[in-house]
Amino acid sequence: MTKKEKKTECLFSEDNLSEIKDGYEDWFSNSLSDRDREMEGQYFTHSGIPVKMIYTPADNEDINYMEDLGFSGRPPYVRGVYPNMYRGRLFTVRQLAGLGAPEDCNKRVKYLLEHGATGGSILFDLPTIRGYNSDDPEAEGNVGHCGAAVDSIGDIDAYFKDIDMSAISISIVTHLPSTSLVIPGMYFSVARQRGIPMSALAGTCQNDFIMETCVGSAPEILPPSASFRMQCDVVEWICKNVPRWNPISYNGYNLREAGTDAVAEVGIAIANAVATAEELIRRGMSIDDIAPRMSFFWDLHNDFFEEIAKCRASRKVWYKIMKERFGAEKERSMIMRFHVQTAGVTLPATEPLNNIARSTIQGLAAVLGGCQSLHIDSYDEAYSAPTEEAALVSLRTQQIIQAETGVVNTVDPLAGSYYLESLTEEMSRRIFDYVKNIEDMGGLVSAVESGWLHREISRYNNECQKKIETGETKVVGVNYMKAEGGKTSPIEVFEYPETYTRQKAKLDKLRAKRDDKRVGECLDRLRKACHSGENLYPGCMDAVTNCVTLGEIEEVFREEFGLWSFPLIS
Amino acid sequence: MPDRRSSEDMERKVRIVMAKLGLDIHWRGVLLVSQFLKDAGMEVIYIGNTFPDQIVAAAIEEDADIVGLSTLSGNHLTLGPKVVTLLREKGMTDVKVFMGGVIPPHHVPLLKEAGIYEVYGPDTAMEVIVKGIENAVARRARSS
Repeated sequence: MTKKEKKTECLFSEDNLSEIKDGYEDWFSNSLSDRDREMEGQYFTHSGIPVKMIYTPADNEDINYMEDLGFSGRPPYVRGVYPNMYRGRLFTVRQLAGLGAPEDCNKRVKYLLEHGATGGSILFDLPTIRGYNSDDPEAEGNVGHCGAAVDSIGDIDAYFKDIDMSAISISIVTHLPSTSLVIPGMYFSVARQRGIPMSALAGTCQNDFIMETCVGSAPEILPPSASFRMQCDVVEWICKNVPRWNPISYNGYNLREAGTDAVAEVGIAIANAVATAEELIRRGMSIDDIAPRMSFFWDLHNDFFEEIAKCRASRKVWYKIMKERFGAEKERSMIMRFHVQTAGVTLPATEPLNNIARSTIQGLAAVLGGCQSLHIDSYDEAYSAPTEEAALVSLRTQQIIQAETGVVNTVDPLAGSYYLESLTEEMSRRIFDYVKNIEDMGGLVSAVESGWLHREISRYNNECQKKIETGETKVVGVNYMKAEGGKTSPIEVFEYPETYTRQKAKLDKLRAKRDDKRVGECLDRLRKACHSGENLYPGCMDAVTNCVTLGEIEEVFREEFGLWSFPLIS
Repeated sequence: MPDRRSSEDMERKVRIVMAKLGLDIHWRGVLLVSQFLKDAGMEVIYIGNTFPDQIVAAAIEEDADIVGLSTLSGNHLTLGPKVVTLLREKGMTDVKVFMGGVIPPHHVPLLKEAGIYEVYGPDTAMEVIVKGIENAVARRARSS
């Protein structure tokens, strides 16, 4: 019987498989040394999946090609979300830009766009991320560092000066739901003032309550339930009003950087998406109104195959949950689109140029995993925000992957690797179990309130660090193949521009010229909305348009929802 | 030289107040270091995100030997020296201030000039930090 005639459920015929299994036994017993055999079972991926010495079709025997892999742009989307993948549209080169005052950022964004970036990500300084104005006492020492300072609508206008907002796709990296109510609102208002219709705006805001409650520590955190409600308010309003905008990017990235493995990274992000979907369905929306606009954000580390498997597995898990649990009908609801950033936490300060190699490998994994957009970290990550030169190397690395390596010419080129397919299956199983475990605990909001997630993160970090200290985890140049004398090559460090005085002057001017009565009315309206349960977005849009500052709006939230103490165990 | 410390002094655990400096949100490192210092037998009081005056108040209340400041967001030059100055003002002259995080190498001499005792970068092995603190405390005990 020829291969074509035989119909089997799996990729390989029964006869083939039995021959392969016999061959494996023979090889294992007769070709390997005693030591090889002893060591089998001692190798693991980063997240703890056992790694065999060799993989064969027998490791893929449970895979049914059409059901488990299929074609790109077709269920279960393991092979990619679009039929033609990068032949149709290359992944968006989305390098972060944020430093100093909005006017400084405007220059950096233009610089990246002029050098061929096709989208942008904008970052904020910590006071902005946490919802404080630049002249707030709490902001001292952080204004304009690690990102842009944004206090009012004028800052967003300055950020995008002479940039056609309808021609770019912009990722507004507001970590918290509370600031996602405000800063994208400023962006939408500026667009409206420039006569650009909402339907022409493309972009993403991060908007993840896990960022507020687990990933970052800070004084004055809103309670998980309030932060989760705001997350849902943002999704609801944007889905209804800004059709091409992704109102949420489930941030596996920062969670992973804070301390989880690849399984938990994806599991927690998906559990959050499930919780959001349930809440919005409760509010009367349909899954096909919401899911098409959900996006995800992954962190790609050094375990090359596991990371590629993670990307592929996450698409499958999402498809199954959307289709089988929520009964989604639109294709767009069932495809998981994600942005990737390479892993900052893997980039040491020692011998920083080595980080170009690390980031390149991680970026390549992202492309082989089928990402929709990519940021490659810069080699000076452990020193400061990137210098212009370091940012350019990252951009160029992306372009080299796109234009010189040929990996974008065929869809999902590593499919069929016995190892990768086996890992993809195992990752899917583990992610499913992780999501189920969270739901069994009463859902993600409860898992956060109880401190479970914080304990998970702490435990993971301790284990990781111990492995580095003992040398079980090798970091080249740091604890492995260390150079004599531990010499680090000198690198140029980005110096933050003086931002405080500029922001302070703008705030003073704004407060002098605006209509205080209107400001008061806007804040009262918001205060009431906090308790009435109505969506907070319209009130925020109204406020920013009337020159209410970010810090003033956030202060209302802090007062009305109260603060939550971080259940930290150390 | 014979050790003249009393047995009470010998038994007293090293007391460290650990803080995230200002608004900085990255807590992975500070908790890790805290855990390792605890494992090394020190008393660690983690006070979370705090500003210089709160940090100094905690150091006084906890009778700290060491204050550990963690920051990865660029506020080290502004807020770090403030902690040292406030401690001196309150007469806590023998409390040593350590810093860790993402700190450009050429800022280290500036911080040390301002009275920060030691600065640890991202790749520092935990044992280096433990040793550094033990040495600082031993020196303090000898000089007092």
